[in-house]
Amino acid sequence: MKKTPERFESLAAEYVLGSLTGRARQRFERWMMQSVQVRQEVWFWEERLGQLTRAVPSVSPAASVWANIERRLWPTAGETPHAHPRMRWLWPSWSLLASAAALVLAVIVAFPHQTGTGRDVQLTGAVVQADVSDPLWLVSEAGSNRLRLRPVAAVDAEQGRDYELWVVPGDGSPLSLGVMAVGGVYEVTLSEDARRLLASSRTLAISLEPRGGSPTGVPTGPVLHITRLYEM
Amino acid sequence: MQLSRHPPRNCSGALDNTGQNMTVDESEQKELLNLLLAVAQHDREAFRQLYQRVSARMFGLCYKLSAQQDLAEEALQDAFVQIWHNAGEYHGDRGAPLGWMLTIARYRTLDLIRARRSLRSAGDDMLKHLEDGRWGPLETRLQQAGATALTGCLEELSDTQRDTILLSYYRGMTHDELAQTLASPVGTVKSWIRRGLMALKRCLER
Repeated sequence: MKKTPERFESLAAEYVLGSLTGRARQRFERWMMQSVQVRQEVWFWEERLGQLTRAVPSVSPAASVWANIERRLWPTAGETPHAHPRMRWLWPSWSLLASAAALVLAVIVAFPHQTGTGRDVQLTGAVVQADVSDPLWLVSEAGSNRLRLRPVAAVDAEQGRDYELWVVPGDGSPLSLGVMAVGGVYEVTLSEDARRLLASSRTLAISLEPRGGSPTGVPTGPVLHITRLYEM
Repeated sequence: MQLSRHPPRNCSGALDNTGQNMTVDESEQKELLNLLLAVAQHDREAFRQLYQRVSARMFGLCYKLSAQQDLAEEALQDAFVQIWHNAGEYHGDRGAPLGWMLTIARYRTLDLIRARRSLRSAGDDMLKHLEDGRWGPLETRLQQAGATALTGCLEELSDTQRDTILLSYYRGMTHDELAQTLASPVGTVKSWIRRGLMALKRCLER
């Protein structure tokens, strides 16, 4: 695929329209990951073609839809007598996470000038998949130069394949943060380069690679997830 | 990189000739933005309010695309779960907050449609309209409103370019499905869409 501006202009439009499908769509998503210009082109079309949705009449959804959303996000919040055991196990960790977030926030508020010489924000986020109610991984920074991914609903990569984590810069090729095992918490020390790129783009991606990771240094398999981190 | 190349929607009267709506729309978007920011901080009450404000718009779109109640409901649920987790990813370059949420709902609906390969019945409906040589009443209304939304640029396209673009957008049709519905070779359909989109872009950039 030749990467000319005309090419990405036309592919971005078709991506948003939805007529770009299958492998071509996956290839384009990988390309989106590599270039902020391509992403901006996509956003241009999302906004302009999005105006077409203004003409679509509103229809109120059934009340059960909201109930289902609540049940998926906060499994123990409802009064379901037979909550799934895994869900029950999850709930304490979510509330722990919430208080951890509140604690960090409190620390920042209380000591606004003691942020040191490094970056003064902690990034956090979650890798989610639309059809899975729990996040696949929770992402957090551990100290100033370590990134931690804790698996929640992530499942092992298929036989003979591995997940590889990437920092996606604003422009240029992604930088590998290594191959992740799903079994436990994945923690990686960020190089100076990786820290700089992550601080500016705040974007991570996970691709599916041959066992041991990409042989070429750039993603070769499908990009499964792109996630943007936010300040905690 | 955060500087948008494109003016925010409705900053110029040319984009929306209903002058009164501009301020209403702007204040609505501002409120939605505040709710989104609160949702990014995991504020459940804000999330509930956000749902009340935009779910009917989003569901209308999911339903229009899929023409199936259960699929539209599933897509809406998925979209809101995604919004809960990803509210922090929203930024100004991605358009107005409502547009961003509608985009999430639209992509999710298209994914589900494809996953279930259930487009056939919607396609058959469309086929009837096209065989008659006319659009259904809703389609005509949408087509006109769409042309206004895109500042008249859709009207500059040829009929086949405009129809293929709108069928893709509103019905989620793939190249193959369009080729079948319009009884034309896939290559021809692809070229209608590609040329139509590029003509549309040239017009929007004028």
